[in-house]
Amino acid sequence: MMGRSKGRPITHSLEMSTSQATRGSRPPFWRDLRVIRIVIQALAIVVVSVIAYVLWFNLTNNMKRAGLSTSFDFLTQPLGVDIAGSDVGPGSPVWKGLLVGIKNTFALVLVGVPLLTILGVVVGVSRLSTNWLVAKLAAIYVEVLRNLPPLLILFFTFNAIFLSLPRLEDSWNPLGLMVINNRFVAIVGFTAQPGFGPFWLIVGVSLLFGVWVWIWRTARGERTGQPSHRLRWSALPVLACAVVAFLALGQPIGLSFPVLDGRALLGGYQGFAAYFAVLVALVLYTASHVAEIVRGSIQAVPKGQTEAAESLALTPYQRLRFVVFPQAMRIAIPPTISQYLNFTKNTSLAIAIGFAEVTRITFQTIGNGQPAPQLVAMLMASYLLFSLTISLVVNIINRRLRYVTT
Amino acid sequence: MKRLKVTSAVAAFALILAACTTAADTTTTGATDPAAPGTTGGPGTTAVGPPPAGDGVLAAVMERGHVNCGVNDAVPGFGFVGADGAHVGFDIDFCLALAAALFGDDNEGDILNRVGFVTLTAQQRFTALQSGEIDVLIRNTTRTATRDGGEGATFLTTTFYDGQGMMVSADSGFTSIDDMTDTTICVLGGTTTELNLATRMADLNYTPQTFEENAQIQEAFLAGTCDGWTSDKSQLAGVRSAWPEDQGGPEALVILEETFSKEPLGPAVLDGDSQWAQIVDWVVLATIQAEEFGITQDNVGTFTDSENNDIRRLLGLEITTDEGTAVFDPGLGLPTDFVVHVIGAVGNYGEIYERNVGPDTPLGLERGVNALWTEGGLIYAPPYR
Repeated sequence: MMGRSKGRPITHSLEMSTSQATRGSRPPFWRDLRVIRIVIQALAIVVVSVIAYVLWFNLTNNMKRAGLSTSFDFLTQPLGVDIAGSDVGPGSPVWKGLLVGIKNTFALVLVGVPLLTILGVVVGVSRLSTNWLVAKLAAIYVEVLRNLPPLLILFFTFNAIFLSLPRLEDSWNPLGLMVINNRFVAIVGFTAQPGFGPFWLIVGVSLLFGVWVWIWRTARGERTGQPSHRLRWSALPVLACAVVAFLALGQPIGLSFPVLDGRALLGGYQGFAAYFAVLVALVLYTASHVAEIVRGSIQAVPKGQTEAAESLALTPYQRLRFVVFPQAMRIAIPPTISQYLNFTKNTSLAIAIGFAEVTRITFQTIGNGQPAPQLVAMLMASYLLFSLTISLVVNIINRRLRYVTT
Repeated sequence: MKRLKVTSAVAAFALILAACTTAADTTTTGATDPAAPGTTGGPGTTAVGPPPAGDGVLAAVMERGHVNCGVNDAVPGFGFVGADGAHVGFDIDFCLALAAALFGDDNEGDILNRVGFVTLTAQQRFTALQSGEIDVLIRNTTRTATRDGGEGATFLTTTFYDGQGMMVSADSGFTSIDDMTDTTICVLGGTTTELNLATRMADLNYTPQTFEENAQIQEAFLAGTCDGWTSDKSQLAGVRSAWPEDQGGPEALVILEETFSKEPLGPAVLDGDSQWAQIVDWVVLATIQAEEFGITQDNVGTFTDSENNDIRRLLGLEITTDEGTAVFDPGLGLPTDFVVHVIGAVGNYGEIYERNVGPDTPLGLERGVNALWTEGGLIYAPPYR
């Protein structure tokens, strides 16, 4: 629309969407673009609603005719089965079983996403290395893993690697700190001794102090231009405080070593082989995609930036860390979000090796008699929730780093 | 540009009209979707328009020309795919019997063309039945109250009375299930097996390892990740009989004595179509009744001169009484001589048993409780009259 500028007559004919502007009024409604746009959008809504209604009606009608339940009452019914690695038993309600599944998926995502980011960045940068061997190895890794279906990688990891670990009776026990066999991997765990609570309280307070010191030193560094050394100023007091508190409270954190007693594991933290297989397989697969994204985004930074950094006598590491990488990261973040979401959704492949994440538990519950449409809808909703949360969190970071054109 | 907008508006109107009429169609006739169960306008449905006559699964199957049978492909003896790609097994034979009963009349050719085998995992099987993807589920499925009720299945005559057992490796040293504390036990997901396992092991500490398919369990068992494999004893016998020789063959495995549940296996159809349910039921019962009368695959054609009216009735032969001659038709919807086609195709119950799971097969299962009632077993057919 043209703005009104003082003293100049507006020529209405240019605002008319169709010709015949002699009268200066709107064309008939069946030729008026504005009306047509509204009508088409309304029609589109109607068509989509009708299709959705037909599908919904068909589903509920068929379910009623076959006597299947259409409510969510099944959530309080007993699950009927045990789930490995949790307290959920046959008498627990269905919703507790599903919650265990969500917890396990969350455990995969929480550990997997940082790992794949680190690995992806390292491999992506390595591929651009001037060292021929490093660059070629990175290239081979990326090209092999990117082009294989993730399910195959998962089967390979599980069968060829984890099932090939020694049997329970012959477990490896390196340094007495870990127990490794083809059922689980157990590491040293921590136990709470008297004084556990007060210890963490003191550490929490000292962390707050450390944050304050960090902010102070950063501001001081920007004001005076001198190196702030903020890390050593904030971390050392916190560490010192923690050590002193630990000793003063009489060692409030104990170690529990994993020990095999026959077939039972006493002490330590245990992770099932299936969990690690899914983690390793999907981290390797997704990191190969992230590596390509990182490589592409580094190469997209204008060469002038690198040359200018060189002329300032920055070392290659400083060049990467302070000049190239911050600019590359802006370009890399949106596609990386997609890869995080792919990782989250690919965890559903764990059903193939029997890991108790949310997809497997949902299908197990369906197989044991609970209604399928409601359960699958809940499954889709949980993946949607995971994905939207990851997108939200990373987009907050992205907004702060977005490449802003003036 | 204008013309495009007008045509797109008209197209949208056309779509809505089409959708409305299709909506009416899918709620009144089930026959537009070949694999859908028919509508019978039962209680609680709101059909749009009057349902046409001749509806139901039977009509859909006859129109389609073959019956869709949900089966297993991983249990030797019951439902297995051989090296040549052919489906063989106890359950498969009942699928073929059903096809012979329905299509035996007009097709002198191979009844294998009249069956569509749909292989399903344990977790998929009831969803496939509910959605109409299969007409009948004959897949070593246990009848339970939940499956009759909430899952909307109707179970027909039990074809195999089984129980759940535990299989361990012979050198593990386990002699009873109570020895198996702190063990990892492999089980298929979505089965009564895992429910029974949870109940049986309630006082013992154990870790369940749930898989979708027997092949995956076999991998895990071979690697030693599982200490025990639990399933129906007939399935365990099948798996054991096919155990690879380089892993020790069948002698490397032991099926423990204890049977810790009842597993009556039988065919299932979806609720809501009694005619179809009774057709499947009587095909199974016909094989049992034939064994009781001594009718076998070889001698089924020799009864044309039989004096026994019960046999003549079963085989759909003319019966001459004082009032005249007539052929017996119970009104099930099947041809009057369907039993002849069934027995000619797969034999009677005893022959099906002997061929697939009997003492002379690698499974080596005795009749036991699966013998005829006249021999002390549970296999019994109501009278065909």
